[in-house]
Amino acid sequence: MPKEVFSAEEVEALLAAGAQLVDVLEPESYVRDHIPGAINIHLKRLDAQAASVLDRSRPVIVYCNDFG
Amino acid sequence: MPGKQAWFDENRPREGKSAEEVWVGDVAGQAVPACGLQDRIGAVRDRVRAAGQQVCVVLNEERILLGMLRQKALEGDRERIAGEVMDPGPKTFRPSATLEQMLAWMREHDVQTVALVTTSLGRFCGAISRADAEATLAHDHAHDHDHVDSAR
Repeated sequence: MPKEVFSAEEVEALLAAGAQLVDVLEPESYVRDHIPGAINIHLKRLDAQAASVLDRSRPVIVYCNDFG
Repeated sequence: MPGKQAWFDENRPREGKSAEEVWVGDVAGQAVPACGLQDRIGAVRDRVRAAGQQVCVVLNEERILLGMLRQKALEGDRERIAGEVMDPGPKTFRPSATLEQMLAWMREHDVQTVALVTTSLGRFCGAISRADAEATLAHDHAHDHDHVDSAR
C-alpha cells in the first residue's frame, strides 16, 4: 500500500532495509545536491521506460524539493 | 517524504557539488540565549549578559522562533515582557543556505551580531555570529587555496 509522506527517520530506516530513492527534480538540482543514494529521474521523464531501472521487488521512495 | 529541503533542514548528509560548500546548517550553534514570550526583560537581560551575548531569541514550547530581542529592547524596562518588545520578524536563513550567502547578507545590512537559522516550519536550529561566519569562511578559502597550490 503506497504511503504519501515519510519522515526523514522513516526514510533512513527504509533505505537501510533496501528501499530505492528517486530524486524527481531537474538534473541540475540533482547534481548540486541530493540525498545520499538517490538516483535522478526527472518528473517529466518518469515513465515506464525510465522506471525500468528500478527494482520492482524493492520499495521506492520518491522525493521532490519541498512541501506542497 | 516532505522533500529534500526537509532532509537538509535536519542537517542530514548530502551528496553533490554542494557537499564542498559550507552550509549554514553545518555551523549553526545553540550558544545564543533563548526565552519565552512571557519572560520579563530584566531576567532575560541578566541571562544574556551572563552568557556574554548581545541578543536573545524568543521561542515557543515547540522551539518555533517567534522573535528576537536586540540590545535596545534588552536595555529597556525590566518589568516588560519579551513578547511586547521583541522584533517579531527577524531575518532567518534555512540550514541549506550557504555561509557565503548568509555572510553577504550580513555585510550588506551591516549586521554585526548573529544570523538566525530556522527550518521551513520556523523551528529554531541555531545561530551564527558574524565573527564566527567570517572566520569559518576565511579558513575555508585558505584551505581551498592550499589545495590549489598543492595541485600545481
